[in-house]
Amino acid sequence: MQVSQFLASVLGQTTPILLAALAAMITTRANILNVAVEGMMLVAAFVAIAVGQASANVALAFFCALIAAIFMSLLFGFVAIVLQADFIVAGLGLNILAAGGTLFTLEEFYQDPGGLRPDAFPDIWHVPSGALTWLPFLGPAFERQSFIVLIALAAAPLCAFVLYWTPFGYSLRSVGEDEHAASAAGVNVKRMKLIAVLASGLLAGLAGAQLAMDRLHFFLPDMTSGRGFIGLAATLFGGGLPWATTGAAFLFGFFGALGDRLQLFQAPSQFVLMAPYLAATLGLIVARWRAAARNRPAPVKEKSA
Amino acid sequence: MGAEIRTLSRAIAGPVGAVAIVLAGGFAFVLIISSDPVLAYRDLLFANFYSRSNFALFVNRMTPLLLIGLGVVFSFRAGVFNVGGEGQLYLGAMAAAATALAFPSAPFPLAAIIAIIAGIAAGALWGWIPGVLKVRLDVNEVVSTLMLNFIALLTTEYLATKPLRDQTAYGAVSFVIPQGAWIPEIPGLPGATSGAVIAIVVAPLAWLALFRTEWGANLRAAGSNMRFAATVGVDAGRQIVVAMLISGGLSGLAGAFYVLGIGHRFEQNFSPGFGLVGLTVALLARLHPIGVLATAAFYALILNGAAYMQIDTDVPRSLVGLLTGFLVLLMTARLRGNPAPA
Repeated sequence: MQVSQFLASVLGQTTPILLAALAAMITTRANILNVAVEGMMLVAAFVAIAVGQASANVALAFFCALIAAIFMSLLFGFVAIVLQADFIVAGLGLNILAAGGTLFTLEEFYQDPGGLRPDAFPDIWHVPSGALTWLPFLGPAFERQSFIVLIALAAAPLCAFVLYWTPFGYSLRSVGEDEHAASAAGVNVKRMKLIAVLASGLLAGLAGAQLAMDRLHFFLPDMTSGRGFIGLAATLFGGGLPWATTGAAFLFGFFGALGDRLQLFQAPSQFVLMAPYLAATLGLIVARWRAAARNRPAPVKEKSA
Repeated sequence: MGAEIRTLSRAIAGPVGAVAIVLAGGFAFVLIISSDPVLAYRDLLFANFYSRSNFALFVNRMTPLLLIGLGVVFSFRAGVFNVGGEGQLYLGAMAAAATALAFPSAPFPLAAIIAIIAGIAAGALWGWIPGVLKVRLDVNEVVSTLMLNFIALLTTEYLATKPLRDQTAYGAVSFVIPQGAWIPEIPGLPGATSGAVIAIVVAPLAWLALFRTEWGANLRAAGSNMRFAATVGVDAGRQIVVAMLISGGLSGLAGAFYVLGIGHRFEQNFSPGFGLVGLTVALLARLHPIGVLATAAFYALILNGAAYMQIDTDVPRSLVGLLTGFLVLLMTARLRGNPAPA
């Protein structure tokens, strides 16, 4: 039972990171380092709660969250690809816009800069408890997880399939490898990048919806708290490869869940919260260290003994 | 001479135009949502000059923005995307506060100087880590500095809530630092820290270092083209690490000035996102140290002005965040299609 509980906690921590990581991975393979995932997630989380409160319709809230995130990605894509802005600067700008825009909306229309906490909020579909008891360990871990967790787990192989088994994926990766060569081979570079950015918006929207709609049912201005960036770290850790990226997301989620467990032993909450960021930093260092060791030229003996 | 003026006006036209467009768009927006749009915008732009104490707050707001912005200029000129200003600022502030608290009986200039050095050192360390990681292991500095921001903020929060916590005060704040470490006010401007004077002096010094010395030329060469720099004998990796040390050190200095000259204690949440605004300020100035003087002043102006706007009218202060988002988003966009100079 303990193991299942911990697995459930890992799944819960991993899901937004995994979705953010896949979002960043898609654009990384099209040669765009996507720091804007964070902002897209934040807007999706806000829209999910705001629409859910106004309409009491869970499906509407979910789809509006996705559409809002895709809209943000469209804005990012327009500025970074069509207007050829520096995509890191534009991405940071999108994050500032998302944070400023949600805070402004909170202050202007809800008169509360602290957050948005609806009294009643419709619940999304969760795996019913007791439905998977026949599966040892894993079954109980999946019980009471939201359907977005399942989508996230399906999205990883789907991304791998699209990237490596479809002509579209080949074109996308060719843009990431060498834009000029891809262009010469007849690939529409800008269109590929735009599609990648829109796909990242969809995945980031799922991540934001999961954050807001799964258990919490409220919105806070700093709700995403760097999960988009941790996802980006997972992508870089995994070298942009779908399986390695997924593994990295699970690793960071594992440390997040471990941090939660440490809280039971009265560890200061700050160090508990630090766990995923520390894990992401160290993970990135280790990954690059190994890559550097692999690519290091053979040592040259300067002096003969 | 005429040619110089023309280059200068062309360099200024872009940022000024961007600010003008965003402010105009903001005004149109305020017209729709507010019942008193003129008062709102007058507060936003001019409230800092209503009184001497308002102006002192403006000076205090400008100081960290200016120093962080200058730090960003050094790192970006060396080709490093240092997004870690916030973390470097917090660690600098915490180091300055802790050092000042550790030497309670040190006399005035000495205590302040030690605390300032500690602040610079802590910020520089937090810049050095991503710099070395980038040079040695090719770790992406955007991600590493963002992660280090969270680590720094949580570390200082722990220190401010547990070992250094002043139980008599509300919130996560440290004890008040001893008077010997306080940086004096600007004479005739009560409340304004004289750290601002130093920050203003740093700007032309940064310009001299970057644009009138061989060292600065090497640093910029490393930033614009690493392979070229290596070919002409510049150790680009070293330049990058040094630039990150300076960049982090300036942010750390900003934190130290805040604690020693303004807050007189470490306060968690003392920064309303100075790191990101400092980045905005530097980018808006097109990474020019003298330009940062103007853009930091502008941002201090509207950040403070927004607070008065919120008090006097029905427009929330987060309007500035909204407008900043658009500004940064569109800042590097090429609206006319011709390639912009790097």
